[in-house]
Amino acid sequence: MPAVAANECSDGELITRSADGDRDAFEVLYRRYSRPVFGLALRRLGDRGRAEDAVQETFASIWRAARSYRPERGPGAPWLYAVARNAITDRGRARTEPPTEVPEQASSEPGPAERVESSWVAWRVHRALEGLSPNERTVIELAYWSGLSQSEIAEFLNIPLGTVKTRTRAALHRLSGLLEEELG
Amino acid sequence: MSDTPDFRELVGEDLTAEEAERLRRVHDLLVAAGPPPELPPHLQEPVEPEKARDNVSFLPRRRAGRLLGIAAAIALTAFLGGFISGERHGSPFNEVASVPMHGTTATSNASAVIHVGKLDSAGNWPLKVDVKNLPALPKGQYYEMFLSRGADARAASCGTFRSAGDTEGLRLNAPYSLRGVTGWVVTLERPGSGKHPVVLTT
Repeated sequence: MPAVAANECSDGELITRSADGDRDAFEVLYRRYSRPVFGLALRRLGDRGRAEDAVQETFASIWRAARSYRPERGPGAPWLYAVARNAITDRGRARTEPPTEVPEQASSEPGPAERVESSWVAWRVHRALEGLSPNERTVIELAYWSGLSQSEIAEFLNIPLGTVKTRTRAALHRLSGLLEEELG
Repeated sequence: MSDTPDFRELVGEDLTAEEAERLRRVHDLLVAAGPPPELPPHLQEPVEPEKARDNVSFLPRRRAGRLLGIAAAIALTAFLGGFISGERHGSPFNEVASVPMHGTTATSNASAVIHVGKLDSAGNWPLKVDVKNLPALPKGQYYEMFLSRGADARAASCGTFRSAGDTEGLRLNAPYSLRGVTGWVVTLERPGSGKHPVVLTT
């Protein structure tokens, strides 16, 4: 049976292949998840340097611990999320924080449960963005997080407005498929 | 003004109800997730995973330490009075360090180099910036350069500029202590918009 190209493998298959020392599989996994891991770490740690360290530690852990992944227990994304979360937590513990005073009023910040849920949503979405072509990803990022209108995107990228609209719609369709996959 | 893009503008009006509902869910997830950060260049590629069997860290050491080192080197070099390059365009500019920048998703071909000059007696770090492949902007829009400190990417403004493709020798200024600086970013600024998309980063 011909070997399946790493690019076409599911996350779980890539983890399994990484456990057998398949470097190509590990690299594909890295490309899919390095940005989501960095995003998660940056939100949790609030410091780019520590977040970069957390990315390194996460992938070192994935490479070392890939044999502990059990495909029958579920897809790869939640396993990777757990590994990343642990590496980030370790990195957070290493931080030496000055003592803080106890606040007099309850915080309006989201609680731990809400933070976990929003982190998980962001993780899934950012992972799905890595599945888009660069052209599609660009229009989505500009439309959603740069505040540009469709015609401003066309002007900024120097492409016809119709192309922007086509790419945006195609990207949303592709994301709906990718996110459905992630949601299982 | 809402910062959330208009769903109907994005997808048009010619969708079936089922299709619109499906894309609406994706739209809501994108809004809830927020933007993914740009990976720094040294984290773009994994390196030597085999080494991870024995060592915890197998990727290049983090950038922040290097940037802090750059800031320290700038201060030290300025203190010693040394400089790498001198006169340019007839005016004195004693370069003590240079910092490369790279484009982000929307400007992947863009790049820049920040030349940091010697600290003057008033406390200014003069900057000369060479920019490549930044898109020309419509009237009223401009780019702005900021110092970053930790998670605060836009900690302190170093000035604004406009660019059309390649621009050399833009004169900007950092009238701040470089202590704690972890990088620089250039953002796209549009009057009336609360968003500041990063187009160049270190």
